[in-house]
Amino acid sequence: MGYDTMNKKTNVKMDQVMIKKKKRNKKAVATIKAYLFLAPFLLLFATMVIYPIALGVKLSLYGQRGARMWYIGFQNFATILQDPKFWESLRIPLFLLLVQVPLMIFIATLIAFSYERLEKHGGSIFRFIYYLPYTIPGIVTGIIWSYIFSDGMSPFRPVLDLLGYSGTKILTRPHLPAILLVIILWAFTGYTAFVIYSALISIPKEFSEQAQLDGATFWQVAFKIKVPLLKGVFIPLFIFNAIGAIQVFNEPWMLKELVVLPSNYTPAMYIYNAAFAQGRFTYASAMGMILAVLTFLISFGVLRSAAKQMLTE
Amino acid sequence: MKRFLLVTLILILGISCFAADYYPKYSGKSTTITMWAWTSNENYSIEEFEKVYPNIKVKWENFDVHYEKAQTALSAGSGLPDVLMVEYSFAPQFMDLGAFQPINKWLDEKTFVELYGEAALGWCAADGQIYGTPQDSGALTMFYRKDLFDQYGLTVPKSMDEFIEQAKKFKQVAPSNLKYYAAPIGNVQWWIAQVWKAGGKLYDYHDGKWYIHFTNPVAKEVFATLGKCFDEGIFDLEMWWNADWFNSLNQGTTAVVENGAWFAEWLKYNAPESEGKWRVGIPPQWNPAKPTNAMLGGSGFYVTSHSKNPEAAALFVNWLNSHPTSLKCLHKYSNLPVMVSSRYEEVLDEVSGPDAFFGGQNIVESLWEAHHLVNTTFITLPISSNMDESLSLLIQQYVDGKIKRFADILPMWEKEVINTMKEFGYTNLVTGKLP
Repeated sequence: MGYDTMNKKTNVKMDQVMIKKKKRNKKAVATIKAYLFLAPFLLLFATMVIYPIALGVKLSLYGQRGARMWYIGFQNFATILQDPKFWESLRIPLFLLLVQVPLMIFIATLIAFSYERLEKHGGSIFRFIYYLPYTIPGIVTGIIWSYIFSDGMSPFRPVLDLLGYSGTKILTRPHLPAILLVIILWAFTGYTAFVIYSALISIPKEFSEQAQLDGATFWQVAFKIKVPLLKGVFIPLFIFNAIGAIQVFNEPWMLKELVVLPSNYTPAMYIYNAAFAQGRFTYASAMGMILAVLTFLISFGVLRSAAKQMLTE
Repeated sequence: MKRFLLVTLILILGISCFAADYYPKYSGKSTTITMWAWTSNENYSIEEFEKVYPNIKVKWENFDVHYEKAQTALSAGSGLPDVLMVEYSFAPQFMDLGAFQPINKWLDEKTFVELYGEAALGWCAADGQIYGTPQDSGALTMFYRKDLFDQYGLTVPKSMDEFIEQAKKFKQVAPSNLKYYAAPIGNVQWWIAQVWKAGGKLYDYHDGKWYIHFTNPVAKEVFATLGKCFDEGIFDLEMWWNADWFNSLNQGTTAVVENGAWFAEWLKYNAPESEGKWRVGIPPQWNPAKPTNAMLGGSGFYVTSHSKNPEAAALFVNWLNSHPTSLKCLHKYSNLPVMVSSRYEEVLDEVSGPDAFFGGQNIVESLWEAHHLVNTTFITLPISSNMDESLSLLIQQYVDGKIKRFADILPMWEKEVINTMKEFGYTNLVTGKLP
C-alpha cells in the first residue's frame, strides 16, 4: 500500500464525513426552516390552546370567593362528583347522543344515497340546499327557531288554531328535547349527508356493478355492500357529533328566552352560568375538566370498539 | 339698600355653603376615572360634571348589561372601572364579593339621606358603609290599556279587591285570547315587589346576619290571593322580555302590566304601534287607606374596590345622581322618567308635561307620586340570579301543571333559597323570622 492510496482513502473518508456533515447541516437547516414556517401556528397554539388549558387545570385546584383564591387540591372535583346539578345536566347530551346522533347519521345516509341516485337529475342542487343550514351560525339558528316555535308568532299557530288546538302551547319545557332534536337535525343533517356522500363516491364502482349484475336492487346494494364500506366515515362522524352533543349550548341558550330553563340544562350552560352568572370560576373550570375527560372517554370507547370490530372482521 | 345687599350676600353665601356641603371640592391631582353604564347618553351629564370639576375627566364605556364582565374582572383581581352601574337588587351580591369600597368620607350618611332618602340606604349601603348613589327609580307602576278599559267598560282599580273584580268582569266579556293581567314566569324582582307593595318582605340583612322568612303572614297572603287568581284563570302567566311578549304589548292583548317606572321608556321603543293607548297609574293597593309601594329594578352607581381614585369617583357619582343639572340631562337624553334623588323635585316642573305616547298624560308626575309611596326598604339577598332561577323553575312547573296550587310555590321557593345560601357558604343565616 503506497502512501498515495492511503492518502486517497483518508481523503475519501474525509469527503464522506464532509458530505455527512453537509447533509446533516442541510437537514438541520430544513428543520429550522420547517419550524420557522410553523412558528406562527405554534405560537398561537401555545398561547391560545396550551396555556388556557394549563391555566384551567390550575384554576380547577383552587377555591374562590370574589378575587380571593386559595389552593384546595381536588376538593372541587370531589364536590362535583356529589353535585346532582352537574350530573342532571348530562341528561340532554345523553338524549342527543342516543337519539339525535344515530338518527341523524341514518337520515344523512339515506340522503347521501339519494344524492347518488339523483346524480344526473340535479343532485348538486339538493346538495347545495341541504348544506345551507350548516352555514348559519348556531345562535342565529336558535333565534329563528325560537320564533317558529313561539306562541304568539309561530307560523304553525293558524294551523293549530284551525285544528282546534288554540290554547296549546308549543314551546313548553317537556317539548324542549323534541324541539332541540328538530333544530339540530335541521342544522347538521345536510352537512353530514355531504360527508357521507363524498365517501360514497370514492367506493370503486366494481363492487356495486358485480352485485347489480347478480340482480341486487339499488337499496340492496346500498345497505348490504356500501354501508359496511362506509364505516371509516361513520366512526369519525359519530365522534364529532358526540362531542357536539356533550357541548350543546347555543340552541338551548336561545330557547331559554321563551321557556324557563334551569342554569344546568346542559353541562356547557351550567359551566357558563357557574362562571359568569355566579362568579364561581374555579368550580366551573373543574367541571370543564371533568367534561373534557368524559368526552375523551366516549371518543376513546367508540374508537376502541370500532378497532376491535375491524380486527375481528 | 345696604341691608338688601347684605341679605343677598348672606343668602348667596348660604346657598353656596349649602351646595358645597352636597358637592365638596376635589382635593386630588387631575385625573381620569372610568365608568361602565348601560343607560344611553350619560355623556351629557358627564360634560356638565367636567365643567364643575375640571380636574376630573370621566371616561364612559357602555357594554350593555355588564355583570358577567364585572364578575370576571372581580375574580381576576383587576379590571373593574372606577364606577360601576348595578341594579339595586344585584348590588348586595357585588358588595359581598368585595366589588365596592365605602365613600362615606366624601358622602356621609346624613347628606345621603337628605339627597336620596332613607329607603335608598337599603340599595346603596350595608353595615353603615355607603358604596354608591341611586340613579333612577324602579317604583312599581300600573301600565294599562285605556282602549281596552273603555271597550269593555272597566274602571281604573284603586284597591286589590277592585283589581280582581275588574279582572273577573274582563274575562267574562272579552274574547279568550285577551288577558287582563299577565304576571311574568320568573323575574324574581317582580314577585318580591308584589310582597313589598303589600308592605311586607321576604328577607333582610341586619347586624351581620341574613334573615330569611318567606312564609310570613304578608307574603303568604300575597301569594294566596294572587295564586287563587292564577288557579282560577283570572290572571295569566307568561314569559316576559322576549319578542313574543313585546309583540303582545304592541298588539294590545294584555290590559294591565305592572312594572318599574323605567318601563315607560321600554314601552315607547318596543311597542311603538300602541302609541296613545297606554296610561300609567298607582298600582292597586292592598290597603288603600295606607298606600305603600315597592321598587322593581332601578340602578345605582357604585365606586369599585379597584378604583385608584375613590375621591374623584365618589364626587362624580354623587353629582351625577343628585345635581339638578345632571338630573335634567338624565331625563332628557337618557330617557329615565324618574330619578331617586329628592332634588329631582327642583326640576320636576321643567321635565314633566304631556306625553303623547301616553295619550297626553303627564306621566312624570304620576311616576314621581308612585315613587314617593315607596316607604319601606330592605337589603336583597346576595344571590339574586339563583333566587331568580329557583322561582322561575317553580312557576314553570306550575304552568306545566306539575304544581297544582300556585300558593304552594312560596314554601318550596323558600327552601330552595335557604339551600342555595348554605351551598354558597353563608353560615350567618337566621330563618323563620325577620329582624
